[in-house]
Amino acid sequence: MNEIGGAPLFFLEFGDIVIYFTPFTITLFLLALVFTVFVLVSRPERQIDIAFGGDAYYAKEISLSELRFRRFMSIACGLACMGAMVTGDVFDFTLFVSLVGICNVGIVAAVKSRHVQNAAYQYGLVALAGTVPLFAAAAMVAATTGTLSMLELAKDTIQVPLAARALLVLGVMGEGMAPFYAAKAEMFRAPGAPYVIMCSLSSLLIFLRVAEVILLL
Amino acid sequence: MIIQKISRALSNFDNILPIFAAACAVMSIITLLSLPLAYHEDQLYPKQIVPGSPLNPYDRGGPPFTQAVIHSQYPANSPTAGYVTSYLTPLSLFISQHTSYMGTTIVAHPGGILDEILYNTRGLDTVVEPTILFIAFAIAAYIFRKREA
Repeated sequence: MNEIGGAPLFFLEFGDIVIYFTPFTITLFLLALVFTVFVLVSRPERQIDIAFGGDAYYAKEISLSELRFRRFMSIACGLACMGAMVTGDVFDFTLFVSLVGICNVGIVAAVKSRHVQNAAYQYGLVALAGTVPLFAAAAMVAATTGTLSMLELAKDTIQVPLAARALLVLGVMGEGMAPFYAAKAEMFRAPGAPYVIMCSLSSLLIFLRVAEVILLL
Repeated sequence: MIIQKISRALSNFDNILPIFAAACAVMSIITLLSLPLAYHEDQLYPKQIVPGSPLNPYDRGGPPFTQAVIHSQYPANSPTAGYVTSYLTPLSLFISQHTSYMGTTIVAHPGGILDEILYNTRGLDTVVEPTILFIAFAIAAYIFRKREA
């Protein structure tokens, strides 16, 4: 077995889906966990606009419902990230990645601003389209190797076709496209800022994890 | 120069969807060119169509409460798999005894066949799938109920 992320420290079995913690995945898991706790305790930022040429300024209020919804989405995104970081099954990984994608859509879509909503719509389409290569990759892995467990696939005797790996990367790219939209829609400075960081962080984490998965297969 | 052009194209988020779609199309063509791929005969969770069974195509065989053989990846992790694969509630049993064309109805209503692959050996997948649906419904409900700003 080729151990890209180090030797597995311990296993957590859910039937055929074996979650395993290597030094690499445990680091990513802890990162996601810490950020989820930050989201849990942080309060949203209020954007301040200064009126030009005077002393006046406007503070934008964030309604309680929007705050609650986006916090919920960020926490769900954090949990999905944690799952995607440590799961040891290709199909389970694709499911967690698509969960991350849809949570990102939710975080972006909750903002009450027209161009942000437009960006969220476009991103939703990309996330939808991204599931096709993602699940196609999982199906190809299952069909050509007869197994989905990463621990089995990591053995040198099993060869995964290159096309399946490429499709997996393409699918994760589609799901992790959120930072493009978030940055363009100026969401980091929009009201309720801290939750949007979860978009970028989750995309970064799933990219890091898919690199490990590709090297493992 | 070319990097400038690429970054300008990417900076407009209306362009990202067409670019991603093009990448998907190119990748599909490459995948099609790499066919045929060899099919691995020794698959997990095999299931054959039993002619004449009223539970077709969801029949995994075995009488209830007797362990049916399920070829899973790690049999040691799910020692109880296969015990209730063909357990039916009285209503489903009645349907299955009187017609052999209701397999999908039996599996789709509560109290029908419990596909143990879904609930036992691959239970975590089944938890994550409804979570995706739930999140999607939550987003749709929030957006639908949001008042116009």
